Amino acid sequence: MTPFELHQPGTVPEAIALLGEEGARPMSGGTALMLMMKAGVLRPSRLVSLNKLGLNEIQVGPGGELFVGSMVSLRTLEKSDIVRRGWPVIARTLRTLSNVQVRNVATVGGHLAHADPHMDLPPLLSALGARVTLEGPKGKRSVAVESIATGYLETSLARDELITQVQIPALGSKRAAYLKCTTRSADDWPAVGVAVVLEGERSTIFVSAATDKPTRIASVEAVDALPIESDLHGSAAYKKHLLKVYLKRAMNEARKPAD
Amino acid sequence: MKRASQPTETPQVGRSIPRLESWLKVTGRAEYVHNLRLPGMLYGKIFRSSISHGRIKRIDTAAARALAGVHSVVTAEEIKSIVPDPYYGPAFLDQPVLAVDKVRYVGEPVAVVLASDPHVAEEAVHLISAEYEELPAVYDEVEAMTSKAIVHDVLKPAGTYPDLKHLQGKKNTNLALDFRLRRGNPETALKSAHRVFEHRFRTQQVMHTPLEPLVTVVESTEDSLTIHTASQSPSFVRIEIARLLGWPENRIRVRVPFLGGGFGAKLYIKLEALVSVLALLTKKPVKISLTMEEQFFTITKHATTFRIKSGLDREGRIVARECEVWWNGGAYADIGPRITQKSGFTAPGPYDIEHVAIDSYALYTNLPPAGALRGFGVPQLVWAYESHTDMIARALGIDPVEFRRKNILREGRPQATGTKMKDAAIETVLDRLEVLLDWKKPFDRGGGTLKRGRGLAVGFKACISNTTSLAAVSVNADGSCTVYCSSVDMGQGSDTAMAQIAAEVLNLPAESVRVVHSDTDVTPYDMATLGSRSLFHMGNAVKLAAEDAAGQLRALKDELKLPADAPVPDIFRKKYGMRAGSVTGTASFNPSYTPPDANGLTENATPFWMVGGTGVEIEVDTETGRVRVARLINVADVGTPINPKIVETQLSGGSIMQLGFTLFEKLQFDAAGQLRNASLAEYRIPGFLDLPGEIINEAVSAEQRTGPFGAKGVGETATFGLSPAVANAIHDAVGVRLTELPMNPESVYMKMQNK
Amino acid sequence: MRTEVHFRLNGQAVSAQVAPHESLVEMLQEQFGLYGARESCGQGMCGCCTVLLDGVAVPGCLTLAVLINKKEIVTVEGGQTLDPVQEAFIEAGAFQCGFCTPGFVLMTRQLLDEYPDPDEDQIRHYLSGNLCRCAAYPEIIEAVKLAARKRKA
Repeated sequence: MTPFELHQPGTVPEAIALLGEEGARPMSGGTALMLMMKAGVLRPSRLVSLNKLGLNEIQVGPGGELFVGSMVSLRTLEKSDIVRRGWPVIARTLRTLSNVQVRNVATVGGHLAHADPHMDLPPLLSALGARVTLEGPKGKRSVAVESIATGYLETSLARDELITQVQIPALGSKRAAYLKCTTRSADDWPAVGVAVVLEGERSTIFVSAATDKPTRIASVEAVDALPIESDLHGSAAYKKHLLKVYLKRAMNEARKPAD
Repeated sequence: MKRASQPTETPQVGRSIPRLESWLKVTGRAEYVHNLRLPGMLYGKIFRSSISHGRIKRIDTAAARALAGVHSVVTAEEIKSIVPDPYYGPAFLDQPVLAVDKVRYVGEPVAVVLASDPHVAEEAVHLISAEYEELPAVYDEVEAMTSKAIVHDVLKPAGTYPDLKHLQGKKNTNLALDFRLRRGNPETALKSAHRVFEHRFRTQQVMHTPLEPLVTVVESTEDSLTIHTASQSPSFVRIEIARLLGWPENRIRVRVPFLGGGFGAKLYIKLEALVSVLALLTKKPVKISLTMEEQFFTITKHATTFRIKSGLDREGRIVARECEVWWNGGAYADIGPRITQKSGFTAPGPYDIEHVAIDSYALYTNLPPAGALRGFGVPQLVWAYESHTDMIARALGIDPVEFRRKNILREGRPQATGTKMKDAAIETVLDRLEVLLDWKKPFDRGGGTLKRGRGLAVGFKACISNTTSLAAVSVNADGSCTVYCSSVDMGQGSDTAMAQIAAEVLNLPAESVRVVHSDTDVTPYDMATLGSRSLFHMGNAVKLAAEDAAGQLRALKDELKLPADAPVPDIFRKKYGMRAGSVTGTASFNPSYTPPDANGLTENATPFWMVGGTGVEIEVDTETGRVRVARLINVADVGTPINPKIVETQLSGGSIMQLGFTLFEKLQFDAAGQLRNASLAEYRIPGFLDLPGEIINEAVSAEQRTGPFGAKGVGETATFGLSPAVANAIHDAVGVRLTELPMNPESVYMKMQNK
Repeated sequence: MRTEVHFRLNGQAVSAQVAPHESLVEMLQEQFGLYGARESCGQGMCGCCTVLLDGVAVPGCLTLAVLINKKEIVTVEGGQTLDPVQEAFIEAGAFQCGFCTPGFVLMTRQLLDEYPDPDEDQIRHYLSGNLCRCAAYPEIIEAVKLAARKRKA
């Protein structure tokens, strides 16, 4: 690893200011970041740890929406009674996301900002209509989760913008499911992921893993036109086939009576 | 932890005692070379080839050498100043300590950076650049037979092996060795057979991935070396380093504590030659500790192609079998040639066949080297012959168990080499599989999208020969016992087994025996800890050495006119007038062996056979091709177990490892020989969520009469039959036959679509 | 440029000078001679580097030592005698080469703290971040069940 300076600011404005410099990167849980630094893929000259910023509350808002601070760990989210009662599909999805040790340190904000298309929460949160609050030198703005990832490990965030909060609408009468299919070991990175949210007659579908970012499709007919490439998880043709199978399965799963 | 120490009449073999080193392992205090740090030590980081075949034009190390904190950068040039002929290997002397003139696979070590901070060394490696003149490369083992891309300009078999002499100096070939066996008249027999079946099978390259990656630390004085290394073959390391340096053996000390896994990866020479030379060049202790990723570029398992052809008579008896096996050895031979021969001769399987032809080829290719991996080539062979056997049975409309029973090798009958089978409970294993699988009962194959199937397979292995183990057993003045042997405990429980054997002879509790770890200054010669040979060979040596010590004690009692039941401390007290002295028994065990003749035939091919059977019940998700093993049954002939619990865990562990090789593990290369999945994130190994629903392990009632207390090895046995049992079950479930490993979901699904 | 960190290690107040890129595992090994936590896969997949940080199991090879100031670290070496989990692992023969064992011991303690009576499904999922190449998985499941019984007693 190349040498870097490490800062642990106590406020968001401080953190944003520190991120203004070229070569600076924010660090929350740090697992994905450390991996990439050890592999030599990322060589930041400055790391800005977000661990002292707070941003770790889980609350239900007046409209029944879920507010999650961006520094909430994935494990905290998984075990939260609020989340289990109001958004059980999220708690279920987290159960097979990476492993317990990683979930103990990885954060919701870091997870969304990493933009690896194999990850589980981005397609699910996109399908649920979730939004994030971003803070930058010019102030705050709100964007849909679905617009964060723009490509493989690429986001629409500026270098000095931080996710500070995630908002997930109340489920209400919506039924949701997320399923993934692995083609090597059982807990491998998925070859395909499918998130389905049903509301009355309407269905919102996001596919992931086989695409380079979570991608909304209208129906199963759209699968063949997706830009999917062969890789270590399988050929393009097979992954398209898996997507169709898992779309059907996710629909069935979503339609099951709520637990 | 309290340990019993008083003499005992309780049998010590056949006891499932906890491993001797339990406390150390559960408290994280077990010693591994991975942990070792010495004062003043330098860390070495390796710069590796980025192309699969080429001549080295230039290596630019200036920028690396200039980086602050770098001690030095070493290439083959500096190596040659200490070792003028820097080539090593257990069969061929073809592998350079650092690349000389050519690189032969992506990842081959070309240079080393030394620094006292490993992060600095790592940084400096990125500053090295090399220029190559690319040469055409070959990756497929069958193609390598006739390819114009030649990996080695000339073959270099080690001079010490008479059976390799004829290969010396051969040029223009990738065929390192071919093993040929002919018994009877296979060509004629096939022509006149009632039915003939021919099939072709393939297996893939995989890696052992021990969780403690390969690591070696060497410290030197002016005329001695101490090599601390994670190695299964300390005696071999000493001999080979002595040969490379031109030093007497006794100036080289090889120490091995526990291994964090081995599985065959940590054998012969891996890092030891390089680190030894670096220690001599720098006159400082040097450590090279590979990352998990680097292991993939160091040693792997042979991919294979196996063409198998059988002739059957009207009664369903196999009268002739022709086996042609191509072994993909990668860029350096390592132990590949021996796999080609010693496993090659079992290619026809555990069947009684009069006419046999075997041609087994060791090929060079431009891939990371292949060597020993749990099974030593046998799993690849069983994959082919047990799939083939099932296919024949079904084509003939004979029940697969019945078909095997009709043809199985029984006691006293000649195996393909002509050696008569002895103490190989093949039929018993088959019988038990049939019972444990409820084979005779109807089986529900399911409906809907989940289809169920069952399958079985039986494989066998000849213990490698001829090999030698020596042991020493001391009885101390207080009656306690110390065992000295160079067997290496890599998790298979060898320490515990040797303690139980010595304890049985000396009537001591096994827990009270101290087993000294490999240290070539102290523990005598052992061929190596591999191929499930240690329990038989070292176990016999320890038993004999303990008997020798017991004999010396008896002689002392006679000399001192003490009663036969006099306690040991009394003997020494009477002999020396105080608490002093000890006796040391020694023994050497080298079972007889007759090398094969020009037709590969011999009446004494091996000192013992291993027999492993697997039965599985599986579920196939027909929409995705995903296979789940619902029930896994491992049945083995291990003779009479020394420690039944450890035997069970070896069967279970071996089968789960083989499950990974069967369903998803594979080294995936691109068209330029570049490995794309060299890390545990992308090369997945079995975890908790991959386990079969139920695993049953059984050691059949059997005896290895020449083994210590009737025992023999078990480390590899459960790997033999797993893959074909699963393929046979898939065929049973969905009617498709897969002939290549791994059987991942896409391959199963695609086979089903192309039915 | 090294930073001084002050923290508690297995119940004792200690301090260390650490470089910015130094991982928790490196610090524990280099400066405290504690080798129970090991870097194997280096990617947070195998669990060999598991360490407890403020009572939470983390991948030590992906954790920067500079960030542990004022925190509580517990490793497998903490503790004077064998606890019920370690005893259970011994009785059940739940290890072979032992390289992954410290990680399993720590995670099993965490598991039983959260779920004192786990079923097999819970055990497999909770421990899925710990790999064992020797594949002692069946014995580990038995050890966890045995440890649960011992802890209840």
